[in-house]
Amino acid sequence: MPDALNPGLRGLDPRTGLALVVLVSAAVMSPTGLRFVPAAVALGAGLAVAERAWRRGGGLVLAAAGLWLGGWPLPAAWPGAVTAVVALACQFTIRLVACVGVGWHVIGQSSPTAMSAALRAWRAPRAIAVTLAVMLRFFPVVVGEARAVADAMRLRGLAGGRGLLRHPWLSLERFAVPMTAASLRATEDLSASAALRGLGSRRRPTAMFPLRFGAADLMLALAVAALAAASLAASALLAPWWLA
Amino acid sequence: MSDQIPTGQMLPADPAASAAGGRGGPRPRLSVRMSARDLLNTAVFAVIFMVAIWAVGMLGVISPLVWLITTPLQILAGGIPFMLLLTRVKHAGMVTLFSVVLALFFLFSGNSPVSTAGIILLGAVADLICWLGRYRSKWAAIWSCTVFGLGFLTPFLPLFIDRQAYFASATWETMGEDYIAATDQLLTAPVLGILAAAVAVTGFAAGLLGSAVLRKHFIRAGLA
Repeated sequence: MPDALNPGLRGLDPRTGLALVVLVSAAVMSPTGLRFVPAAVALGAGLAVAERAWRRGGGLVLAAAGLWLGGWPLPAAWPGAVTAVVALACQFTIRLVACVGVGWHVIGQSSPTAMSAALRAWRAPRAIAVTLAVMLRFFPVVVGEARAVADAMRLRGLAGGRGLLRHPWLSLERFAVPMTAASLRATEDLSASAALRGLGSRRRPTAMFPLRFGAADLMLALAVAALAAASLAASALLAPWWLA
Repeated sequence: MSDQIPTGQMLPADPAASAAGGRGGPRPRLSVRMSARDLLNTAVFAVIFMVAIWAVGMLGVISPLVWLITTPLQILAGGIPFMLLLTRVKHAGMVTLFSVVLALFFLFSGNSPVSTAGIILLGAVADLICWLGRYRSKWAAIWSCTVFGLGFLTPFLPLFIDRQAYFASATWETMGEDYIAATDQLLTAPVLGILAAAVAVTGFAAGLLGSAVLRKHFIRAGLA
């Protein structure tokens, strides 16, 4: 998570990040949106590299490459019913992976204060702006509790996909109940602290760092425009080479 | 069902709510004015819901086909925090807000706009069902969970909307008309209806599971 006082992601206005992920999702998930997938993957990987999130960037590229192999070269090499279904699933999932690659960057790099300020600037209803900001604040706490429960289950030999598929109800109960109970207890103090600090107040809070679009936002907008234009040109000129 | 929960009722989060929202009490007024406590509760349960389904869904990363298998398990996992949230709902609007923030969070993390709109719509319907049960009816909560569970179907909607794009590539042309026709049959409205019915059944089971877990663990622990 970024510094709580840092209003944006390394100079980017948080509104730019939120608008970017919605734009990418709308483009990639739209009819004929497959043509934007390489650009979206490149954008997500580029943003991850800019933040030095090497694992996220590498994982995104590897996942997209694996899905591309399963979606296009695999059924072309071995035509069959199984590869056809696998190809369909991969062709759909690669769109999600491309969007999630950009989205995880924005969510991961947005502080609660930045998210709250961005939504207030867009005049989002108070209930939505405050709740989304609080969700960002509580996310690490609940994830930490979930990891602790998963570790405890692993120590007792209860974790793993095999056990989940063989005993789904029991596995879910063993995971969800302690995770939920521990999270609720851990968030009690945070809730009291947040309420004492005025979270949820109907008065409009002042921003320590007022939001402002800058050069970084302009550069990102230009990069997105260039990637979109390249995608359109490639699909028109090269008859989607990467889909062949 | 256990004797510890009166038939057709859920135990409220606090005694005051019980007095105000009993089965014979006045129907809660439709209001979107939330207290800070309501917002915090909604946020905390939204995060718990997301982490629960995410932890189960991570198994689906192994392959897209495993993803289809883990979706019912995600619905079951999400039923527990959803049912627990409903014990803390005191007025209309909170379930809708829960669905709105979840949908926006998923949208900001890469979900499609179609899915976002679907989750919000289903959340509003789930809220309406709870409202009809005065936010104290166990069966209204279970049906609400069933409807909300249909939201797990919405990420697949773009697959059905943009079906022609998948078969337009050169790869599919090499596989022949038979394969294209057979696979195209997978993406039709009847198949979508069957999937929706399966998801609804799983959502109903999630409501039952959540209700049983509430009775077995959370009410005893004083968390519901």
